[in-house]
Amino acid sequence: MALSMMKKMTMSGACLIVGVAKRTSIRSLASATQGLSAKKLRQLPTEGEVTKSVFMSQSTDIYTNLALEDWMYRNMDFSNHHVMMVWRNEPCVVIGRHQNPWLEANIPLLNDKEIAMARRNSGGGTVYHDRGNLNITFFTPRERYDRQYNLELIKRALFRGFGIKSVINERHDIIVRDKYKISGTAAKLGRLTGYHHCTLLVNANKADLSKALAKRETKATESTPSAVINLADLDNRMTVDSLQTALGYEYLRTPALTLEDGGQNLIAKQRGFQFVNPTDDWFPGLAELRQELQSWDWCYGRTPLFTVSRSFPVPAELLAPSRVYSSTQELSINMSVENGLISDVTLNIPPGLVESGFHGEASVITHLKGKRFTSEALNALQEAMLTRHISGDQRKLDEKEQFVAKCFDQVVNTILQADCVEDSFYLDTST
Amino acid sequence: MILQRCISQAKYYLIRSCVVQSNIKQTYCETHHKHTIRSRKYTDRHEWVTVDTDEGTVGISKYAQESLGDVVFAQLPDEGKKLNAGDECGALESVKAASEIYSPLTGIVTEKNKEVENKPSLINISCYEKGWLYKLKLTKLEELDELMNEEQYETFLKTDVEKHDA
Repeated sequence: MALSMMKKMTMSGACLIVGVAKRTSIRSLASATQGLSAKKLRQLPTEGEVTKSVFMSQSTDIYTNLALEDWMYRNMDFSNHHVMMVWRNEPCVVIGRHQNPWLEANIPLLNDKEIAMARRNSGGGTVYHDRGNLNITFFTPRERYDRQYNLELIKRALFRGFGIKSVINERHDIIVRDKYKISGTAAKLGRLTGYHHCTLLVNANKADLSKALAKRETKATESTPSAVINLADLDNRMTVDSLQTALGYEYLRTPALTLEDGGQNLIAKQRGFQFVNPTDDWFPGLAELRQELQSWDWCYGRTPLFTVSRSFPVPAELLAPSRVYSSTQELSINMSVENGLISDVTLNIPPGLVESGFHGEASVITHLKGKRFTSEALNALQEAMLTRHISGDQRKLDEKEQFVAKCFDQVVNTILQADCVEDSFYLDTST
Repeated sequence: MILQRCISQAKYYLIRSCVVQSNIKQTYCETHHKHTIRSRKYTDRHEWVTVDTDEGTVGISKYAQESLGDVVFAQLPDEGKKLNAGDECGALESVKAASEIYSPLTGIVTEKNKEVENKPSLINISCYEKGWLYKLKLTKLEELDELMNEEQYETFLKTDVEKHDA
């Protein structure tokens, strides 16, 4: 049953594309002959003809859920069928489409704790998800994308279901008790479809949340990190499930375009709640989308160009013993990272280290170019330094080389501090 | 000998036909040139394009810029990328939505506006001048006829806005 339904949806998606193509060609003919006729708009059905569904994803894998979202965006026709999808994930950090994961997330901690890191297709800031967090995606035709409507709907559900009062601020965050943020919001707009998704904190692990997101002190734009609160702290009856149900009913009892209460009557006319199983059988092509979303090239490789500069004081025992130095001897490293790969490195070696016999050879540095901005680069560096020991008397790095390697380790394996990083833009971190 | 003459004759004809063809091409381009260099053409997705011989410059309209709000990031297509009319080729991120950009015409990207990449607010400040997005070498000039001129676009906007208000 469900399978055939999905197939129908894909079919209708395909039909729509054909329809559009046809229309353009007709239009081009018309404009070629008449010259002045303006283009016609897509005719969307009236509010009464639009039905609604609540899709509940049965996956808790972030990449699968993002792939499902993307699949629906690409393949489904929402002109007479609006969909709200609810989904949740195992612990993960999700960054916005154009963000820098090394700057937004605590990558070393994520690796340690096996928290997934994902990049989504929509804009906006970084969020943390776990099973205590509900994600909601509203799909509509692009022309009917309405963020205010969606947020108001959530606000009404919170009040109807749990008596929780909230406000929507100018940044489109949902705020409770004057200052606590419970929701972050982001959106993607395409030619035919637009979607708006947001998070709702129910009983998320706030300790992990704050550890997983990098605390940045930005010199550029002063971001205002919001205090967050779990909804379960406001009403102890609240669980992710009960919230999901309350939101689902609110969505179904509200007409597609106007914020009114259509009551039980309207609920009965909708398509209702549906479990969806995000697999390739239901959604042909989903696995491929998922694989792409999980790839290093997408998650890290899509990072806009940035440069890192860091300096490390050289320990006294590594300096030439006979000399006295007037200033602190610092080793400084500058790296440019393009598409997640190291594109340029400069290493400034202080005189003290040179005089004690360290030769920072250019050949070693060039080995780093093209390597990923991860431990892969560090391994390449160590390898290159070792191969320089031609005589073969040493298979280990000497003290000075070890120090340099440690500095590189610090550069690629610790949270980047914003004042060491230059990148073209900053966005406020949500949640 | 005879063979050589044959070849040289064939060459001569070939060259002549080439000259004729290139002449035709030139006049064809010129008419287009006259038509399009100063006037912007628009798509129903609110992109504009101006054409100089066979090079198109693409940007987004004032209406699109206003409805996006402050653009904070511009992801533009790289040089050498082949685009078909209507292809997704990048995204503009404003305060809280990422909007796809589509190519209005078919061609190969010759340049992207690096200044806009570094300073996306140029799109808001000067969407028709400094805020252009990318240039492309057009391969299907006839597609230009499918786009709207200034006047048609204005009418299109009016009906669009009315629809939204309704």
